[in-house]
Amino acid sequence: MGVPYVPVMGLVGSDLLRRRDDMKVLPDPFEPTKKTVVAKALRPDIAMFHARRADRAGNVDIGIHNDDVILAEASRHVIVTVEEVVDSLSFKDAKGTFLPGLSVEAVVHAPFGAHPSGCVGAYPVDKAHMQRYMEAARSDEAFAAYVAEVVFGVASHAEYLARFVPAEWQNGSAAARKTRSA
Amino acid sequence: MSRPYSDDELLAVLLSREVRDREVTACGAISMIPAAGMLLARETHAPDADLIILGSTAFMPFHTSRQFHFLCQRGDLGLFFLSGVQIDRFGNYNLHLLGKDVDRPEVRFPGGYGGGMIFYAARRTVMFRTEHTLRCFVPKVDFISSCGNSPEEVRRFGRLTRVHTPLATLVNTVPPGELRLGSVHPPYTLDDVVQRTGFDLGVSGEPPRTPEPTAEELRVLRQVVRRIMIETDTYGDWAAKNIQAA
Repeated sequence: MGVPYVPVMGLVGSDLLRRRDDMKVLPDPFEPTKKTVVAKALRPDIAMFHARRADRAGNVDIGIHNDDVILAEASRHVIVTVEEVVDSLSFKDAKGTFLPGLSVEAVVHAPFGAHPSGCVGAYPVDKAHMQRYMEAARSDEAFAAYVAEVVFGVASHAEYLARFVPAEWQNGSAAARKTRSA
Repeated sequence: MSRPYSDDELLAVLLSREVRDREVTACGAISMIPAAGMLLARETHAPDADLIILGSTAFMPFHTSRQFHFLCQRGDLGLFFLSGVQIDRFGNYNLHLLGKDVDRPEVRFPGGYGGGMIFYAARRTVMFRTEHTLRCFVPKVDFISSCGNSPEEVRRFGRLTRVHTPLATLVNTVPPGELRLGSVHPPYTLDDVVQRTGFDLGVSGEPPRTPEPTAEELRVLRQVVRRIMIETDTYGDWAAKNIQAA
């Protein structure tokens, strides 16, 4: 929206509010006997998210992750990784919500870029990998080992795909992907 | 405790009775029982209820969360279904964490801003909990995700009205802004409920018995709602497993 703050009805009395300095309880300026929360705008420096398709001008087919549009509008710089780069994309071509290129600074072709999470219409969440992640996240040592191997232990995107994305997903049909997730 | 219906089926029926025709009713993500209850209401007494099942595609009229947020803020949401890990005497709920030290919690849950906002904005919020135990119904929650009752000067459209569990229905009684026992679900007794609630329910005398699910309610749930959930992929796997096939 680009406004400096918004009033929000709700949340008063919650411990969440006690622990945040970007939300305050203030009298309504037009009806001073009533109070509401006022939330400061979040303006991220950089937003990065993954989508199904984009073109070279930065137009993005967001798919069902529509709130990425809100994220893109709020952020100063927007980088979108995509499964597929096409020559041109208009809002009529989009299968989901359309994000115009004027909000987007860079498009990166990164097949399976959402892995180990899923990309709707392309591949599901990699449940086996997620299980491994959850186990690693239980201790600082295990998590450090996970990051060393999966994040810093690969030299390129191609190496990541070869080592961590199931081979049958990269060649197989959508049906084969679905079977694995079940 | 043996009943001719499961706890999930009972809760779905109790929640369905909360839905009013021509009203907007919504539930959040991972809300299988409310989804079943809302569909049961639509197939019985509330054919023109507007249903919003967040996370579904079949019962989701919006394409961004912004639209749902402002629907709530306008006061157009009639009823919201919510659950909590802990619920206390004052109608506060906790979906954030367990433990006394907020910075080093024993367990962390998804938390949520949305419920904390909707608790104020929805005209009525009805909570449900699949267990009725001392660890759930506590004197004071470890972390207040949203508060059941707030001072008069705070702008608010609505508040918690009732809490349904497999044992009983609790009612948010204002004043004093505390949960009181509304009715007990057969075959449980008042003593069962008191033993498993961590605060005083203000009981005097024998409480009413909850009207049990009718044959018709169970028939529609099992024949119609189960099929709709499977066919529309609205928690279809859950419905296939947890609602008995007719």
